[in-house]
Amino acid sequence: MSVISWSARLSAERRRFPKRLALLSKGVIAAILIAPLFAQTPSQPDWKALEPEMMQQFQAVLRFDTRNPPGNEHLVADYLKGVFDKAGIPAQIFALDANRSNVVARLKGNGKKKPILILGHSDVVTVDEAKWKFPPFSATRDGGWVYARGTVDDKDNLTGGLMTMLLLKRYNVPLDRDVIFMSEAGEEGSSNFGMQFMVNQHYPEIESEYCLAEGGGAIRIGGVAKYTTVETLEKIPRGIELVAHGISGHGSIPLKSNAIVHLAGAVARVGEWRPEIRFNETTGTYFRGLAQIAAPENAKYYRDVLSTDPKLRAAADQWLFENEPLHSSMLRTSVSPNIFAGGYRSNVIPSEAKATLDVRALPDEDPVKFLEQVKKVVNDPAVDVHFTSQNIRPASAFDARLDSEPYKVLEAAAKRVYDTITLPTMSTGATDMAPLRARGVQCFGIGAAIDMEDGPKGFGMHSDQERLLETELYRFVRYNYEVVVDLARAK
Amino acid sequence: MVRSAKALAERRRSPRRLALLLWLAALVAMQAQQPAPFDSAQGRQPDWRAAEDEIMRHYQAVLRLDTTNPPGNEHLAVEYLKQVFDAENIPSQVFALDPNRSNIVARLKGNGKKRPLLIMGHTDDVTVDASKWKFPPFSATRDGGYVYARGTIDDKDNLTAGLMTMVMLKRMQVPLDRDVIFLAESGEEGNSNFGIQFMVAQHFDQIDAEYCFAEGGGVTRIGGEARFATVQATEKIPRGIELTARGISGHGSIPLKSNAIVHLAAAVARVGEWRPEVRFNETTGTYFRGLAAISPPDVAAHYRDVLSSDPKVRAAADDWLAEHEPQHASMLRTSVSPNIFTGGYRSNVIPSEAKATLDVRMLPDEDPARFLEQVKRVINDPAVDAHFPSQNTRPPAPAARQDSEPFKAIEAANTRIYNVPTLPTMSTFATDMAQLRAKGMQCYGIGPAVDLEDGPKGFGMHSDQERLLEAELYRFVRFNYEVVVDLSRAR
Repeated sequence: MSVISWSARLSAERRRFPKRLALLSKGVIAAILIAPLFAQTPSQPDWKALEPEMMQQFQAVLRFDTRNPPGNEHLVADYLKGVFDKAGIPAQIFALDANRSNVVARLKGNGKKKPILILGHSDVVTVDEAKWKFPPFSATRDGGWVYARGTVDDKDNLTGGLMTMLLLKRYNVPLDRDVIFMSEAGEEGSSNFGMQFMVNQHYPEIESEYCLAEGGGAIRIGGVAKYTTVETLEKIPRGIELVAHGISGHGSIPLKSNAIVHLAGAVARVGEWRPEIRFNETTGTYFRGLAQIAAPENAKYYRDVLSTDPKLRAAADQWLFENEPLHSSMLRTSVSPNIFAGGYRSNVIPSEAKATLDVRALPDEDPVKFLEQVKKVVNDPAVDVHFTSQNIRPASAFDARLDSEPYKVLEAAAKRVYDTITLPTMSTGATDMAPLRARGVQCFGIGAAIDMEDGPKGFGMHSDQERLLETELYRFVRYNYEVVVDLARAK
Repeated sequence: MVRSAKALAERRRSPRRLALLLWLAALVAMQAQQPAPFDSAQGRQPDWRAAEDEIMRHYQAVLRLDTTNPPGNEHLAVEYLKQVFDAENIPSQVFALDPNRSNIVARLKGNGKKRPLLIMGHTDDVTVDASKWKFPPFSATRDGGYVYARGTIDDKDNLTAGLMTMVMLKRMQVPLDRDVIFLAESGEEGNSNFGIQFMVAQHFDQIDAEYCFAEGGGVTRIGGEARFATVQATEKIPRGIELTARGISGHGSIPLKSNAIVHLAAAVARVGEWRPEVRFNETTGTYFRGLAAISPPDVAAHYRDVLSSDPKVRAAADDWLAEHEPQHASMLRTSVSPNIFTGGYRSNVIPSEAKATLDVRMLPDEDPARFLEQVKRVINDPAVDAHFPSQNTRPPAPAARQDSEPFKAIEAANTRIYNVPTLPTMSTFATDMAQLRAKGMQCYGIGPAVDLEDGPKGFGMHSDQERLLEAELYRFVRFNYEVVVDLSRAR
């Protein structure tokens, strides 16, 4: 999914939470459990007391090896189905492939309003196990963090959605609209098993007015939550493949046409190239908002990158690339060469070498024109440049509106839970919201708070040390629950 | 390796009357039911025309055995050869460190006046990328006068010639002043521990000889004409260098400055474009001067210029050679060819590591440690590590002498059969002669005629269209036989 940094401030959070109140709310929850009628005026769950349960659910889903490929999301689907069954929440499994199932759970409302859908995907990207300090499916707790593949992509949202459903049920929150939860398979590159399948075959099961999924969250800088992002727009992933052809031969005789050398030159040039900067309404609002709340030394770069002076803009761009690569990617159609394969034996010059560029296009990018630009940068007739044939998510027809009810609710929750303002953002990663947005659903990307610094330090999403602060898991579950209650409870 | 052929011209030159006489002689021999004894005074020749079918049959038979290394399975070739030797009543014995990777030694006894002569051919092939081959790589398809297969010129040509020489010596009952030993060795392509290393360490008495012949030389055709013959008298020393780039892993939607693939690509591009300094030794000096003396003026100018002390003149000649005669460019220096590049495992994940392998062929006098420092300076990127991997290295040894009996016999045969002068040469690749030269054996690399243009056109050794002219196979067998007879027959 997308990256956005987040933040947690555990100690501050704990300090703000007086023991007396904790004790009091524990008592209240006990009362609610005994007398569910109290749920008419839902009081706050005792979040402190719920921490072990949240952690237990988070670790349980993290410990299922659902790397995709092959996926095996049925492990998570079966687990969740069991949890819903036990809680008395109606849930159903939908699968194109039995090993790659999806689960939909639904809490009925009074039907006054159209449903709200909470999404979490159950698959994770693959791992290079040798690189992990803690085994990638161990969900090891260390120094206040949980380490595992999926901690911030996307088993945090999965856990947030699951806990929200469980708590809504447990407290018998009366609802004006159905609340639907879906655990989907194949988000990481095979959505034909997940979102595509559900939208094409079982759309009535998930049809809704609003949806919440991954793609946003609070951003911590220097350990303090500075702002919260809500993803309202996303870039469109396009793969580009570079193929170099040369003459094969014996490695003892270097050849000018060496496919690996030509491809290396092409990849080096493309890797150093940064396509032109272009803003849209979401990113413009985002950077202007960021400039207002950021520390002056950083605010300068957010302002400068919006400048019409090319020199100021370029310097700010360079700073962002080195220090806040996420922001650098938001400015443009980005290109990241992520695979390079050529050669099979050290003494044989291969006749072919291939590289794959991960391209994230701005929503308004013209793919054909962009491909031409890449060819100009590659500038080598020995290297062929073409789009890969991969699952392409549709460009979303509707951006989520900033003046909508959910956006305002999200703003209020961020103020309350994280004490931050909310900025709309464009996700650099694609999400499964794209096909829903294409059908007119207002979708908003949310997520747990993470540190802006984690990505460049190698702790980010898809990295070999993917992690989440324990306290930020808890805080996110609360945020998730409060947003859904605010949007769905009977008024 | 460079070789060549002009079969048609050869046939035209051979007078019909002589052919008829030879044919009659053969007929007489057949009628006698057993071969007539070799008459050293008359120097009776085998009927090479009549032997073509048999030569082609053995050649295709060994080419059709899949001995790609790894895994090798050289025992397939050994079993074939053993059965041929048994049928011809030539004593032979199999030696194996691993039963699948056996070697075979055959010996024709002489009267012991002189120390033995060893003829070698290796049975293993480099691997293939079968999808790139027009004709299946183990089909030994005959097309347009060529035979196409992996191993046609590396090294089943020498294997076939050695086999035919043994068979002919036996059949013609050539009396010998020295034993003639044939060794078909396994593992030449990177695992000589199964082949020459094993034989030298464990069974040296079986192959101990005064002189040896193996791959590494041949006749060079330019524009379809045999121009000169080369005899490999020394060889470069192969040393792999591995480059490893390390960066931060992350999601491909956010390009990172530390991207390991981009850093490694830039390093490989720089190393691939770099040409280490030109340096001559006695063999290569003699070779280029000899070449300048026999080449047409326009080409000769480049051979002379590259020997020049004027750096500009030398650089221009070097550029021309790199473009037009890459194996000559490789003879001028320690060469570097980046042949493997692997990094990344998923298009949307920036990997934390990428690796490339450089095939380095060092001049015999190169200082490996100093050369590695030069490579590091060219790469000039602290994110990219360069080091020697631990692999089989061949021992350095003094060059074979040019004033020796075998060199003169080869020179004479080249004049007689190809009508070309002979130049001593340094092969750019390693051969199993390195281990024997280190034992004090005088070893000479020979081979069939191939076109100088074949390498750059993609028909060379280790290429995806490796091939040999049928007529040049026949001519090479004759050459091989005549040189061995010249050196070994009783006088």
